[in-house]
Amino acid sequence: MNKQQQQQHERSMSRVEKGLARRYRQERNFKRLGLGAILMGLLFVSFLFISIFANGYTAFQQTFVKLDVFYDPEVIAPVGETDPDVLSAGHYGGLVKATMRELFPSVTNRRDKKKLYGLISTGAAFQIRERVMQDPSVIGQRESIWVPADDDVDMLIKGHIDLSLPESDRRIKDDQLSWIQGMQEDGRVEKRFNTTFFAAGDSREPELSGIKGAAVGSFFTLLICLAISFPVGVAAAVYLEEVAPKNRWTDLIEVNINNLAAVPSIVFGLLGLAVFINFFGLPRSVPLVGGLVLALMTLPTIIIASRVALKSVPPSIREAALGVGASPMQTITHHVLPLALPGMLTGTIIGMAQALGETAPLLMIGMVAFIVDIPGGAMDPSAVLPVQIYLWADSPERAFVERTSAAIMVLLVFLISMNLLAVWLRKKFERRW
Amino acid sequence: MDEVINRSSTIARELKTGSGAEVGMQVLKESQSSGTVGDIYVDDPRMTCRNVNVYYGDKQAIFDIDLDIAKHQVISMIGPSGCGKSTFLRCLNRMNDTIDICKVTGQIKMEGQDIYDGGLDVVPLRASVGMVFQKPNPFPKSIYDNIGYGPRIHGLNDNKDHLDEIVETSLKKAGLWEEVKDRLDHPGTGLSGGQQQRLCIARAIAVSPEVILMDEPCSALDPIATAKIEELIDELRENYTIAIVTHAMQQAARVSQRTAYFHLGKLIEVGETDQIFTAPRHRLTEDYITGRFG
Repeated sequence: MNKQQQQQHERSMSRVEKGLARRYRQERNFKRLGLGAILMGLLFVSFLFISIFANGYTAFQQTFVKLDVFYDPEVIAPVGETDPDVLSAGHYGGLVKATMRELFPSVTNRRDKKKLYGLISTGAAFQIRERVMQDPSVIGQRESIWVPADDDVDMLIKGHIDLSLPESDRRIKDDQLSWIQGMQEDGRVEKRFNTTFFAAGDSREPELSGIKGAAVGSFFTLLICLAISFPVGVAAAVYLEEVAPKNRWTDLIEVNINNLAAVPSIVFGLLGLAVFINFFGLPRSVPLVGGLVLALMTLPTIIIASRVALKSVPPSIREAALGVGASPMQTITHHVLPLALPGMLTGTIIGMAQALGETAPLLMIGMVAFIVDIPGGAMDPSAVLPVQIYLWADSPERAFVERTSAAIMVLLVFLISMNLLAVWLRKKFERRW
Repeated sequence: MDEVINRSSTIARELKTGSGAEVGMQVLKESQSSGTVGDIYVDDPRMTCRNVNVYYGDKQAIFDIDLDIAKHQVISMIGPSGCGKSTFLRCLNRMNDTIDICKVTGQIKMEGQDIYDGGLDVVPLRASVGMVFQKPNPFPKSIYDNIGYGPRIHGLNDNKDHLDEIVETSLKKAGLWEEVKDRLDHPGTGLSGGQQQRLCIARAIAVSPEVILMDEPCSALDPIATAKIEELIDELRENYTIAIVTHAMQQAARVSQRTAYFHLGKLIEVGETDQIFTAPRHRLTEDYITGRFG
């Protein structure tokens, strides 16, 4: 190396070193930026989870009141009566009222009595009727049973009612407060696990409302959606990717599928309303129509994911199969599809999770109706989880606030478990080559 | 074989003193009109190719190739990258059909039957003309299923025992039986590269083909695995006709009886391997085997 070269080398090295600090600084800043983005995301997610949980966890408990009910033969039916028609016709609401009057004999005023009866849920009468229908021999006897308290009482016990407000601004009045305190002192008030929330359909009374109707409706809707969108989506993807000639028509179809994936979901709702309900005359509010609409919405997602999965199968596998004389069909069904299936399943489950959380298109086909019954099939009117959340969030009663959050928790549990299933399936069936 | 290589390197040394690339281009121009040098015909051929042209869209990849492939012989196809040797090989079992824009004209006959005849089904053709690829590509299934797949789809086995027998004989012929007999249910992809390639050869053998096409079967393997495959090719010659595309000239010299030299989509010269490597008749062949280009 001569002197000039040596100098040249030293010059360039000094420049490199000068720039080095700047390069490292840029790298550090880049890292910080990425970390900051992730931390911010985590912050928001944790805020979401914390607020939902904080709002909703109380919904898993419900206040119950112990009543010493006298199964009055005069109100229900004579002792020994077993005919269900007669038994169910009894005036059970009267029994609850009588029990409450017994508990607080000092209340005589008609208006006060009404306030007193308001402490107990209207569901109590149904519960007593159930009890009598199950075992008619209790008629004429006295028994202590736990019945749900009214939602206002429930809110009071859970501390959601601000007692510093003037009486006129409160749902619970001063005398009601004293009666509740009296019952509490007697050990007649207790918070218990809220089975109703998981076992009942919707209701106007918060303490009687549950998520089961919506969950079952969501289940049927997704079942229909899966049964249609998975086979159709996979078939379309296989055709487009493996069979169809590459020409202007297939290009056009591909562009359209990509466009459909970006169409706002409410448009699919309108499409479903026009096609399935108005043209084919299917009933409104049923999971069948909901599933069909969601299938239309999910299809582009599944087709795109499946095509990506098919594309990622190495061509060497196709060549190997063709090389031993497999027909194109055998190559696809024996080799390409099994290898692409994990990717297809992942895409499908993510599409299904998206469909599970979808509200807008279902509003268009009448799934926003207030439905109390738990659907028995895909042709029964029903609600779905996200629509139930929407309905409850819209309700004025304070007790629906915590139920909304609880329903969101249930929905999130379903979504997270579906995504975990997708991850698990991918891990399990993923093969290396 | 060593002798052949020695001789060819002697020629190389001699030629290094010779003239440059201008001469090569001159010869190239001449050869376009003159056609193939050497003996393209053999007695009792397995496959005959006449006037084969291959186009990828508007681009012609192969020009007017005439070539016979003799029975129970290894024919190697050599030439620089992009010369069309792989394309030609893939014509022989219509593997090019899978490429949409690829068009083949001319005649390729096997036992008197034109394989590009519209009425011919490619499935039996590919069963009788097996193929081994550049990169080992076992199915992501067990070793047993890799071999058993071909016989199964063609219905070659009468029952389970028969299939076991086919798997065993195929693996034995491919020299892999001793290494894998205790783990037939293990995935084929778990074998080493050389073993995988022998598995692929066994898979091709399992459907009892007449011709086996090999597209640079050793290019992804180490020298020891390569030596094993070459040994295997020599043994297989007894029962099968083999056409092999290779980049390694020494390999062509070691395993083949006939050699065809391709250049820019044309078949320049074909002849006995000994002759091609010791006394090439065409200038381009000589330039290539002596390492002047390629």
